[in-house]
Amino acid sequence: MRKPGQDRLGIVLVGLSGVAVCVALGMVFFYAPREAAMGEVQRIFYFHVASAWVGFFAFFITFLAGIGYLARGERRWDILALSSVEIGLTFITMTVITGALWAKPAWGTYWTWEPRLTISAVQLLIYVAYGMLRAAIDSPERKARFAAVYGIVAFVTVPLSWFAIRWWRTIHPDILTSGGGMATTPKMTQTLMVSLAAFTLLYVTLLRQRIRLERAADALARLRLRADRIGK
Amino acid sequence: MGFVRKVWAIVAKDVAAELHTREMISAMLVFSVLALFIFSFALDLRGAMARAAAPGVLWATVAFAGTLGLSRSLAREQQTGCIDGLLLAPLDRSAIFFGKAIGNLIFMAVVEIVLLPLFSALFDTPLLQSGVLIVVALGTVGYAAVGTLLAAIAVNTRAREVMLPVLLLPLAIPALIAAVQATGGLVDGATWAEVGGWVRLLVVYDMVIVAVSMLTFGYVVEE
Amino acid sequence: MSIYLVAAYVVFWGLTFLLVISIWARQRRLEQQIAALQSRLEENEA
Repeated sequence: MRKPGQDRLGIVLVGLSGVAVCVALGMVFFYAPREAAMGEVQRIFYFHVASAWVGFFAFFITFLAGIGYLARGERRWDILALSSVEIGLTFITMTVITGALWAKPAWGTYWTWEPRLTISAVQLLIYVAYGMLRAAIDSPERKARFAAVYGIVAFVTVPLSWFAIRWWRTIHPDILTSGGGMATTPKMTQTLMVSLAAFTLLYVTLLRQRIRLERAADALARLRLRADRIGK
Repeated sequence: MGFVRKVWAIVAKDVAAELHTREMISAMLVFSVLALFIFSFALDLRGAMARAAAPGVLWATVAFAGTLGLSRSLAREQQTGCIDGLLLAPLDRSAIFFGKAIGNLIFMAVVEIVLLPLFSALFDTPLLQSGVLIVVALGTVGYAAVGTLLAAIAVNTRAREVMLPVLLLPLAIPALIAAVQATGGLVDGATWAEVGGWVRLLVVYDMVIVAVSMLTFGYVVEE
Repeated sequence: MSIYLVAAYVVFWGLTFLLVISIWARQRRLEQQIAALQSRLEENEA
């Protein structure tokens, strides 16, 4: 196993992500205009949407990894799945919390069943369920297999939930949130795009680190097995 | 043995086993009535509020009672070890899935047949109309399908039955929303066309979830 | 500056750092354990 000092790609990724996030941050605070209705608080929006995107994208990767594992049966697919879940869970938690922090000044209450907030909460619940499922199984093979199945079925319901929640809110609008729109300008869209790109890069960097961590854990387990055999 | 024959054999076995003891269905029924009472007291459901809450309370009750039945049905399977005997060819896995899922669907349907008139009376809402019955059928189909798959997973975990609601309920959300909205609309006098969007969502959900559950079930029961 | 804005960015950075540090700490501990075990195995084979 290579020593950390030789992990060139890792260092490059960390550097790039760092730069990208700083650029995005700069744009959020200095390039994007002050929004008419909400004022400064609106600046939460960019990173909030970016983390929502990562939360969803990470889940999509877990879905693909699940298919990969069921098709191939190789441990690396399972490693990808569980790594993506850990990163995704962090980001979706970010989304929900910042969503609440955005809702309070915008609509006066910390929680509203607004579509994006609601679907993020649903994804959070699914992530947690996935984690609990993995934790409740001892056999590594079964853990990987069951998690793969759940990841696939669960992800498939997310777009359906999104539509259901959207229609539900269209028919029964929250008096609080309907009418609360944002006046978007091109600069805001650009800032959002850059934020999305920066967060995606951040996701890839963190994912890679988490995968390496899991491989190290596997290596340790193999070493332990060798040690046991020798009888140490 | 043909595919349909195998499915039918599994359904018949499950139904016969349940007819013998009736313990699962009675538990589901008693639970449902209790849930009904709890909801009524907790939400103080009277008059207009009762009518407005009826679709939601109905579906919440069905969902929770359903998890009882699903867990029990798969746990019983594990105890008797029947599934191992049935796993002879890949085709058998789909047959097992449909057999178990249809069995679970039947059990839930039996409970619903008792619940619907009861709810109609207690909540003073016209639940016994053809539109509502169709919506109930559609919702139950999807729930039973994904529930069968997830129960098969849950039963093999350390937490066993407790795991099932955690796994199942987030995935049932699209069906739940659609079913409650459609039921509520119909009960308020909306036409079939007006709730059509929700019904279509339910149908799409059912098709997708049955397909995915069927395709992945084999990976859950293989050993 | 709105308190909510500040709180939100604290959350972004905070959670990101928690994740990064968690991964880093676990990686270090694993590498230490691997190195220790490896040297013991090499001793044994010598």
